Amino acid sequence: MKILNEPIKVMAIFNLDGKIEPVKFRLEDKVVRIEKIMKIYEENIVGNKRMIFVCLHKGKDIYELKYELDSKTWYLFKK
Amino acid sequence: MGQIIMHIDVNSAFLSWTAAYEKQMGIDRDIRTVPSVIGGNEQSRHGIVLAKSTTAKKFKIQTGMSLMEARQLCPNLLVVPPNYRVYVRASKAMREYLMSFTPDVQVFSIDECFLRFTDLKREEAVELAYKIKDTIKEKFGYTVNVGISDNKLLAKQAGDLEKPDKCHTMFPDEIKEKLWVLPVEDLFMVGRRTKPKLNRWGIYTIGELANSDYYLISTQLKSHGRMIYNYAWGRDCSTFKTGEPIKSVGNSSTLKFNVCDHETAHVMLLSLTEMTAWRLREANMNCRVVSVGIKDKDFGYAAKQRKLDFFTDCTRDIYINICILFDELWDGKPIRQLGVHVSDLESSNIKQINIFQDELSKKNEILDKAVDKIRSKFGDESVIRGVFANTELSPLLGGYPDDEYPGMSSIL
Repeated sequence: MKILNEPIKVMAIFNLDGKIEPVKFRLEDKVVRIEKIMKIYEENIVGNKRMIFVCLHKGKDIYELKYELDSKTWYLFKK
Repeated sequence: MGQIIMHIDVNSAFLSWTAAYEKQMGIDRDIRTVPSVIGGNEQSRHGIVLAKSTTAKKFKIQTGMSLMEARQLCPNLLVVPPNYRVYVRASKAMREYLMSFTPDVQVFSIDECFLRFTDLKREEAVELAYKIKDTIKEKFGYTVNVGISDNKLLAKQAGDLEKPDKCHTMFPDEIKEKLWVLPVEDLFMVGRRTKPKLNRWGIYTIGELANSDYYLISTQLKSHGRMIYNYAWGRDCSTFKTGEPIKSVGNSSTLKFNVCDHETAHVMLLSLTEMTAWRLREANMNCRVVSVGIKDKDFGYAAKQRKLDFFTDCTRDIYINICILFDELWDGKPIRQLGVHVSDLESSNIKQINIFQDELSKKNEILDKAVDKIRSKFGDESVIRGVFANTELSPLLGGYPDDEYPGMSSIL
């Protein structure tokens, strides 16, 4: 796993109960579909709130996406 | 069971916050573990050490030192620029979190808060302090020191005992063992100017100050002497201030070059006034006292203020008075830093009509409001004054408000 922290384009479902569910994202002109969200948690380092989604792709690749609440930006944090 | 006061102090605040933020951003380094400082931009002459890591402290680097001096002490020093947006957010998040324990939170500076509990035993207080310290570390990613006592002064002294990531108590019955053994310069409000005076009278520890001749201290050091004498005994009768409305608005800035003529100085003052008056209007306030501060190239500081006949929030009216004050005050020495402050504030909801106000002033008030609206919609520099066009000068000076988080003051 490598730390990238790059802003990315994400397609996500914002559910009625307030839950956010990333569906797919773009990485170097390729579309990566998220098969399964393994874990969701929040961090609040120095007051900067981010939601973290640990996602699985093709049953083996793990991607860590972060959604920053202040800037409303998605980041690919680890891959 | 009396009241319990806790003092929360972030350990090397700007540095810890930057380090935690960098970690969150995935930057692969921890500036806390190497000799590093947070310092301003040397090109624009903001080159002083704002915070230092514990490893940098071993090289005898001190806060407030110039970056050049710091580099001489430690050649491999890592200098990281400050990021005030992160600091303000971190400070707000900490304050909100502390509010969940007690509504009585007094913000003392950007990285320090006092908490008051009225129904807590000592043992419970210590337990709670450890809980606060550990959750801040876990939740926000930086360490704090907690000082516990029954007044603000002793709580602050306790927080300074041993750093980082510690909790200490200093109740009045512990003064002898914990406070009196410390060197006198460790006492709050004893700085580098008072220390040599006290040393001359053979006072080297806080205990010696407490047991010295009160009349000597009182006659020689006046009210400041009486205050530090009482502080040495752990006496502090300050009140606990929570959520007070703002008392003054001001901005100051270290200039990129030394200013030697009236015209340039007036232009600089205008850009500072623009910022200050804008913030004053944002706060929905009017002011009656305006003041100007000048720091010359030798770091000598002078300030002057005047009371107006009327309340105002108009940039032009404030600027005219600032210029008059400046011309009276300035002795012609090259200027390093300028500051504009307004105080004696009153809500602008109700305003006394001023019969001496001229037509131009009335028109300017309306103009100011229009300009504010344009700026909030299209950006800070969408409308600027003509004097700033085609120049290197910034039309709005002073970004980091220097009164929102008061610096060290004698008023606890």
